Amino acid sequence: MQFAQISDLVETEPIHDRDVDRSALAGKWINSNPDTTSIARVNVFEADGKLQLQVFAVGPDGVVDWGTTSANVFTAGPASRTGAGFTATFDFGFAEARLQAMIMKGLLVLAQFHLFKDDSKRAGYFLREYYAKTHDLF
Amino acid sequence: MTHVDFRQKSHLHPDLTQPGAATTNADKLLGRWFNTNHETRGIAECTIYRDGDAFKVSIMGVGEDGPINWPTVKAIPLANLEEEAGQRTMALLATFELGFMRVETHMRINKGVFVIVLFATFLDGSGRANYLNREFFYRQS
Repeated sequence: MQFAQISDLVETEPIHDRDVDRSALAGKWINSNPDTTSIARVNVFEADGKLQLQVFAVGPDGVVDWGTTSANVFTAGPASRTGAGFTATFDFGFAEARLQAMIMKGLLVLAQFHLFKDDSKRAGYFLREYYAKTHDLF
Repeated sequence: MTHVDFRQKSHLHPDLTQPGAATTNADKLLGRWFNTNHETRGIAECTIYRDGDAFKVSIMGVGEDGPINWPTVKAIPLANLEEEAGQRTMALLATFELGFMRVETHMRINKGVFVIVLFATFLDGSGRANYLNREFFYRQS
């Protein structure tokens, strides 16, 4: 078995995508920062056996629906069956937004990488924000 | 008036068109970084250096019988809008293609600590689960 760090050297029964519990990831996540200039809400759900994201961002004149894209699910370790985060990409044509998310202490920590492809001479940039899962328990 | 595409307010942040926006405080990121966890089973150290205009990243993983050198890669420099202006240090996005595994990372400085967040995808059919990890590093003085 090949490895690049010793933590990758694990013996496990084959873990398929369908074996990974994604329940902690699914839900409606809202930005903890009411003054965000970025992603306001993320809806995470399953469809056709894939994790899907629908993203709503804050624009100058209101909410901008980015639409829906598929996400890749990641666990907390190579022998784990519990979903701990995901990655996804939105391609807007003029720019690409790459997302890397992980759950920490019940929050979704979402790192965003925006890479511009147009001639606007804007620098690619990084943002990281925190999202709480909405619920009606209290 | 020039039209500028956007999908969120921060796409229009005026600092993004400032010269050198993606390389702010690069010197805070450059150097040799060691894992704060001496018992890590993951990344032992990371070196970031400039090669002309490019930023290169070299990682050393912990192996069974000694360190494992990952192939050096060119990173994408990114402006950091997360911190208040004046405290901002650029971030890096780097992908390591290791054949049996792809590792997508982002790297940044948080209060003087160098943070690597990695998302590993196995490509070898070994049945291992794709996973994420986060490790912290201090700079060699």
